[in-house]
Amino acid sequence: MTENILLKMMNIGKSFASVNVLSNVNFELKSGEVHILAGENGAGKSTLIKILCGVYNEYKGEIFVQNKLCKFNSVHDAARTGITVIHQELSLINELSVVDNLFLGREISGKTGWLKRSVQESEAKKLLARLGLEIDVNKYVEEFPMSVKQMIEIAKALAIDAKIIIFDEPTSALNEPDVVKLFEIIQNLKKQGCGIVYITHKMKEIYNIGDRITVLRDGNYIGTDSKDNLLRNKLVNWMVGREMTQQFPERIPKLGKTKFQVDNCSIDDPAGGPFKVVKDISFKVREGEILGIAGLQGSGNSELFNGLFGTYGKNISAKMIIDDIEYKIGTPAQSINRGLTLLTNDRKLTGLVLNMSIADNVTLPSLKSFSKNGFIKRNEELNAAKICSERLRIKSHSVLQETQTLSGGNQQKVALGKWWETNPKILLLDEPTKGVDVGAKHEIYELMNEWTNEGMAILLITSEMPELLAMSDRIIVMHLGQVTAEFTREEATQEKILNAAMGG
Amino acid sequence: MKFLKKPEARALIALAFVLIIGFTFNADGAFFKWTTHRDMLRYISVFAILGCGMTLVIITAGIDLSVGSLVGLTAVLFSLFSIQYGWSPWLVIPIVLLAGTACGLISGTLISKWEMQPFIATLAMMVFARGAAKWISGGQKVSTAVLQNDGSYKYVNVPEIYNFISAKVLHNNIAIVTIIFIICAGVAYILLSKLRWGRYMFAIGGNEEAARLSGVPVVMTKLIAYGLCGLFAAVAGICQAAQEQQGDPEAGMSYELTAIAIVVIGGTSLAGGRGGIGLTIIGALTIGYLEKILSINAVGEAYRLMLTGVIIAAAVLFQKTRKK
Amino acid sequence: MKTKLFLLIAASLIILACGKKESKITTAQKVKPTVKQKIIGMSQCNLGEPWRVQMNEDIKLAAAKHPELKVIYKDAQNDSLKQVAQIEEFISAGVDAIIVSPKEAAPLTPVIKTAFEKGIPVVVLDRRVNGDKYTCFIGADNKKIGKAAGEWIVKKLGGNGNIVELKGLMTSTPGQDRHSGFRAGIKGSNLKIIFEADMKWLEPQARKEMESALARFKNIDLVYAHNDPGAHGAYLAAKAAGREKEMIFVGIDGLPQEGRMYVKQGILAASFEYPTGGKEAVDTVVDIFGGKKPEKEITLKSHVFTKDNVDKGGKWL
Ligand SMILES: Nc1ncnc2c1ncn2[C@@H]1O[C@H](COP(=O)(O)OP(=O)(O)OP(=O)(O)O)[C@@H](O)[C@H]1O
Ligand SMILES: [Mg+2]
Repeated sequence: MTENILLKMMNIGKSFASVNVLSNVNFELKSGEVHILAGENGAGKSTLIKILCGVYNEYKGEIFVQNKLCKFNSVHDAARTGITVIHQELSLINELSVVDNLFLGREISGKTGWLKRSVQESEAKKLLARLGLEIDVNKYVEEFPMSVKQMIEIAKALAIDAKIIIFDEPTSALNEPDVVKLFEIIQNLKKQGCGIVYITHKMKEIYNIGDRITVLRDGNYIGTDSKDNLLRNKLVNWMVGREMTQQFPERIPKLGKTKFQVDNCSIDDPAGGPFKVVKDISFKVREGEILGIAGLQGSGNSELFNGLFGTYGKNISAKMIIDDIEYKIGTPAQSINRGLTLLTNDRKLTGLVLNMSIADNVTLPSLKSFSKNGFIKRNEELNAAKICSERLRIKSHSVLQETQTLSGGNQQKVALGKWWETNPKILLLDEPTKGVDVGAKHEIYELMNEWTNEGMAILLITSEMPELLAMSDRIIVMHLGQVTAEFTREEATQEKILNAAMGG
Repeated sequence: MKFLKKPEARALIALAFVLIIGFTFNADGAFFKWTTHRDMLRYISVFAILGCGMTLVIITAGIDLSVGSLVGLTAVLFSLFSIQYGWSPWLVIPIVLLAGTACGLISGTLISKWEMQPFIATLAMMVFARGAAKWISGGQKVSTAVLQNDGSYKYVNVPEIYNFISAKVLHNNIAIVTIIFIICAGVAYILLSKLRWGRYMFAIGGNEEAARLSGVPVVMTKLIAYGLCGLFAAVAGICQAAQEQQGDPEAGMSYELTAIAIVVIGGTSLAGGRGGIGLTIIGALTIGYLEKILSINAVGEAYRLMLTGVIIAAAVLFQKTRKK
Repeated sequence: MKTKLFLLIAASLIILACGKKESKITTAQKVKPTVKQKIIGMSQCNLGEPWRVQMNEDIKLAAAKHPELKVIYKDAQNDSLKQVAQIEEFISAGVDAIIVSPKEAAPLTPVIKTAFEKGIPVVVLDRRVNGDKYTCFIGADNKKIGKAAGEWIVKKLGGNGNIVELKGLMTSTPGQDRHSGFRAGIKGSNLKIIFEADMKWLEPQARKEMESALARFKNIDLVYAHNDPGAHGAYLAAKAAGREKEMIFVGIDGLPQEGRMYVKQGILAASFEYPTGGKEAVDTVVDIFGGKKPEKEITLKSHVFTKDNVDKGGKWL
């Protein structure tokens, strides 16, 4: 073969506490290719990557980089060999500035250790410019939204001139235009001879950017093939082990009376800026309805959800009515009591208590109903958690497993499960299928259908356009805090929505 | 080594290590007498009671530096009311417990409502409470010598309650203060593992924002944690006063550090979200035995300090190794 | 927000109120202002110790007998530099005399010298400063007291017996002196020190160490502690073990509400006074105001308090 093989992983195996999560996995990467790593939640994709980049150094099997047997003891080790990862759960330090994050651990300094800040700054600007990002590099990372953080993370990986670049679900927080930008970057890297490993659950991306596809299922190696040979149905079959013809279940909404009404909602900048992030928005959602809220980064749709839920406290002015009863905005706890719940878009920071078990997380908002005189009825609680876990097909050893040891997609299911336990009237979903595999996505869609059939109203934010179009009964589009368009399910198309989302 | 996965197991190993030292250097067999163990338990009880409250606070990812000063303040109040004013213990004990709780609640309010750093808020309370103790007592120990208006002293007997608390029961085999500690540990255990509020403490310590957005009453939970920490400090203060037969405004000086050491050696994480009372009990035994063994062997002060430092570091290091 | 603030203030007021009552009990004799008032600056290095509180108390009592004196008290909170600053304040305020109980010699020597050279009489209490640029030093001798205690013990036990020594902080001069003086006092007798430990002047520590001694030794005849709280802690340990009758306890300091009270209650066999010198300091200052030149150094005599003499004010050593 004339092609240059960058990486070969042979018979890789890994177990945690005597539970096998990977066995006999093979993987190969050529230079100039984008190799998709696909599989269900918990299949072991992230684990394989973590072995490759030195996070785990106890494993079975062998790794060859450019035909040399390698064993990495740390992330640093792997980086020196030219391997870098953009992790599924971001690893930026919120309390540092963008520059400091970009150069963390490899600061540019003089002989005495004095930082050359201005050099770093201009380098940082150059790096970010490659990604088409123009931001103040001296601002703290925490001030930026998810999508910008993701870009910074990518810039950080690019900064070390890696040969092998691994993306673990990079687009789960990105909007369409940002995705397009990312793909351009990847094409460029390909041309420069880099090898790229790309993990995603989005079918469209697999066929758009991928060259070859390797599939894992339950820690086992299923196969590798080029994307032209491995068509969608076959791929899904490889991943889930059964036929799945439809990506989205059929949706027949049963609409009732108005469930949730918001009039003249305005929200001050939660970061303390002078401008309102949401300006004078009004809408109604009916029983059984799914209302999609479209918008790009900075449109204010996420802030709208958080404002309505009470995350920002009293920084919001609005007339809010649930079931014909008008009320004043309160704390999140009060919102939950009223039946208004929010699935946040960052499970690590705001969604889950990662060091608690699945069961403890699932019952956290509804703990009152599992306790009597303050005493927790542990058996009832565990039962409920088991039912929830089975229902959402959370892949785990037991409901007592710590959530941080779950795969990303399964963590997302736990976050969804805890709101399901509260039996909400209105569910605000901010990226509900972030990092969730095809099969499980389908289940979540079915759950959404089922819940709305029972009378729940759902508001949906998603960066996946097909999901938005397939699941929403109505879509309002936001731009810079204001509504720029509203479409019914029949009217809506990707072009119209994108157009309105860009302010047109 | 699946056994080692449990934090309790690792904490027990540190304790076992200290006990082995005790068996080896048994001071002519003094270590094998039950009274040695009984006295160790008596001595460590006050610290362990503080450790119980500290565990709650540390689990919420906080810290309470004021407990040592609260021991002084409540010891002074207890002695003042019961010895010098001669009030009934049925009145004095609730008042003193309330005073401790109130101080804890004040720290808790500063921390939860006004979002002060726990370190700063409780540091302020630590200084304030020590000052209050000195001011109330006039800088002198509040003892059975009652100053008369003409400058002379009248000597009175300590009230019965002092003898009761500092007594030993079960054929002189266990100190009442140890029993008080066991009760405190039981209360804290039930709170942490059976009650809703305990779960909330773990949730807040693990991820405060996620907890808040899950409807966890963050302010109330923290108030409970710091309030109970103050209450336990008051219990410790009463025990201290009873054992010393007086209220010393200097009592409890730097006890907060021992309490924190007990909690951390047990394996409760200072970062919050992990830990438990079982661990704190093991930590208390570890520190208690260490001090006892050094004491019966009459090891010099300088060696004691160095050895204690080494053992604390070793025990905590051992806790850390689980990450791998 | 406002209600919370109110609650906070209310809570602190309650605490304040508790203290108010107490202040009536401590002696606070009022100094009547007179025409020719003399002002004395008193700088105490640390009011954290009861013995030093007693020193201030003694000064207060002595000064009350001289209506023309007004004493300004300062507490340096165990901080040498703070104490320097306080004495500087006294100098610039132009006080008529200074009484100082210094924390450490070296840092305080220069400022005391400045005051002395400006013509302000300076009485140094308890701890020395370097050189001779002060008016008068008043202090007791820990070595002598330790020795007296040793001799008393030899006599009391008839020269035979097992002794536990509970030492104060052995890094502090009083601790070292009370130890070496004591050893000198028992020299030549058959007394055996079977157990010794640092109890850092603290009662709970003393109790803990005594428990260890009790666990190890069947025969203990006497406990010598470097301060009265230490002796009391040891007594509590022995009492808890039911062995308090087998041995006797001796302490040092002899404060009215500590050592003397313990002696009176029969807890301690003896307490050796470590006099504060507060009264003597005031007397010296009055002498200076009266035009007399005081001695450069006054060594305080101390009392031994035993059950028979404690009510009569003790016996001079
Ligand atoms: N530290 C750990 N302890 C125990 N089990 C673990 C640990 N880390 C991962 N696992 C388990 O290993 C399995 C594989 O996880 P992994 O994160 O590799 O999945 P994934 O393929 O990346 O899934 P996703 O698409 O949801 O991100 C999961 O079942 C997970 O619970
Ligand atoms: Mg993953």
